[in-house]
Amino acid sequence: MTNFIIRRLIQNFITLIALSFICFSILALMPGDPVDLMMSANPKITTDDVARLKALYGLDQPIYMRYYNWMAQVVQGDLGYSRTYKVPVTEIIGPRLLNTFFLLTGALLLAIIVAIPLGVVAAVKSGSKLDYYINLMAFAGISIPSFWLALILIIVFSLNLGWFPAGGTETIGVNLTGFEYFLDRLKYMMLPILSLTIIQMGIFARYARSAMLETLKADYVRTARSKGISRIPVIMKHAFRNALIPIVTVIAINFSFIFSGAIITETIFSYQGVGKLVYDAILANDFNVAMVSFMISVGMVLFMSLVADLLYGFLDPRISYN
Amino acid sequence: MSKDKNKNSNEDIEVSKTLFQLMREQFMEHTAAKYSLLIIVFLMVAALCAPLISKVTGISPDAQNIFNRYASPMTTNTLSEDEEESRVEEFIDSYPEEVRKIIAQIKSDDLAMSTLEDSTDDDLIFDFMATLKDPVSKQSWITKDNFSINYLLDIKESLTTFHLLGTDELGRDVAMRLLFGARISIGVGLLVSFASAIIGLLIGACAGYFGGILDSMLMRITDSLLSLPQLPLMIVFAAVDLGKIPYLNHFVGSENESVIKLITILCLFSWMTVARLVRSSVLVLKEQEFILAAKNLGASSYKIIMTHMVPNALGTLLVAVTINVGSAILSEAALSFLGLGIQPPIPSWGNMLLNAKEVIYESPALTFFPGLLIFIVVISFNFIGDGLQNSVNPKSIKR
Repeated sequence: MTNFIIRRLIQNFITLIALSFICFSILALMPGDPVDLMMSANPKITTDDVARLKALYGLDQPIYMRYYNWMAQVVQGDLGYSRTYKVPVTEIIGPRLLNTFFLLTGALLLAIIVAIPLGVVAAVKSGSKLDYYINLMAFAGISIPSFWLALILIIVFSLNLGWFPAGGTETIGVNLTGFEYFLDRLKYMMLPILSLTIIQMGIFARYARSAMLETLKADYVRTARSKGISRIPVIMKHAFRNALIPIVTVIAINFSFIFSGAIITETIFSYQGVGKLVYDAILANDFNVAMVSFMISVGMVLFMSLVADLLYGFLDPRISYN
Repeated sequence: MSKDKNKNSNEDIEVSKTLFQLMREQFMEHTAAKYSLLIIVFLMVAALCAPLISKVTGISPDAQNIFNRYASPMTTNTLSEDEEESRVEEFIDSYPEEVRKIIAQIKSDDLAMSTLEDSTDDDLIFDFMATLKDPVSKQSWITKDNFSINYLLDIKESLTTFHLLGTDELGRDVAMRLLFGARISIGVGLLVSFASAIIGLLIGACAGYFGGILDSMLMRITDSLLSLPQLPLMIVFAAVDLGKIPYLNHFVGSENESVIKLITILCLFSWMTVARLVRSSVLVLKEQEFILAAKNLGASSYKIIMTHMVPNALGTLLVAVTINVGSAILSEAALSFLGLGIQPPIPSWGNMLLNAKEVIYESPALTFFPGLLIFIVVISFNFIGDGLQNSVNPKSIKR
């Protein structure tokens, strides 16, 4: 077990390092570097100045040297300075991470609460009208473009009905505390969570259904029934508990999809999370922020897939890690 | 149909069916998949015929008209008089022969407005155009069946446009743009799906067949690509300036630059599932006797993979490819929606949604149709994939 974790951690670490180099080189391929931007902002700049500035920022060096310098700084805890926000990167990242965390947890919880019971019901009543409709809804959930759904939600709930704000993270200029603060945040999170969660609901419902169908066919379920245990306890205790294994894995693996979705959702609703930060930083060529937020999000996803593997073994003792 | 026939001729003997027939019957039993296939075929035909439709209806997807922005669906619109004049002038300049005939006709019929007796011949034409505003006189001209005058009638006709789904923020026809967008969106989806299937097939077959260190290396790459969040990676790749990359830089400035870039990016990130599927079926097939037989007969690795393994893995491959089309369309739309995919003026459903988002307060209706089409196409491909899954799975075939 420990061996497995260590091996996976090393593997994830190598992936992360390799990816950071690839990402670094690709970002260097983006149009314009900081000095180019300065040049366009200041027409009086001389070629001497440009050369001096390029040397100062290390932009005259080859990519691997720049990467090495950047990495050396990061290892020492210096994440650099944001070019657009004019503050150290560490100051921006913290609250953004927290916001995204709230959003993702909300979406995941809602999806789990709604979709898994639906999937279980569909499997138990498989072949019925209800199963058919749940299946149809799950397909619709998987196929719906989340950005379109978000726009429709804005049109319906904030333009026409005016129930929720069309965008933002919290009401600005009001000092709320305690429960009122929570309600305020919830009001802004409602639509983003809804648009994020529909796809997850579709995926979870389908997986829950197929996992349940599999376990309902198993011999131990038939044995339990023939021993005289009534239907509901067999479904809940024997079938559902075993079906949980693939379901939990899917939830953890899906984390990377949810995160991808969060980028779009946060951008549409201008919700101040990491996803929007990655997108804005890459578009604004804000190198340090882009690198750090990108690495953090990738690291988060890799960590979740490790958690998924561990959970798998925890839920199913038959699996060994050797 | 065939069932009844069989019953009449020989009731007891079951007619043997080919595998393809069995699969088709199984597929047709999946109602949703059947209708989805119909929808996709219809949309593809419509998309392929888009230039033809544009020509017949006289509506161009790029024609802007700032006097007719945000028109609601099912409205007709008449272009301004300036536009009419300039078109008639253009006609007079380019077809003097026809103009002479028309003038002769008008004079002989004495239909020219006598109010402008002393005017030039060109003015006669303009006066004539003015009379066409009156439907009664227009009808009388249509019945005259004069070939030359038909030109003028056509011009008059082309000035009124009918907008089935209204117009957008530049007064362009939404329905026509959606039709041309379908070419890009479905085209990109199909292309990406096929290309990534080929990449995945090669990688999966090599990994499964040769095994060893090649297998573990390729599978490590596949796994790590699968576990990464795709969208941030795609955004990073999409932000690249093609001019700084060798080989790809001669696409810079060409009209299709953004399309080529997008297809490359999507292919890079969508071959993994196919590779895993192919690898696992190759691993199973590798142990079969017929592969051993082929090997002993001296077949090359290429021959074994291509003629013995790939056809056997084709069923699962087909399902993966179909479902991939849907997800490629979604990714294309998502990237275009973020402004990093297909760049205007080329219309795609994603960048139409991006435009619509910016004018969401002026015209909420514009958001509706592009997204609906994406939704319909993606769900159709998913249903077809589901139906195919049923039909290629030997367990589910009822004989």
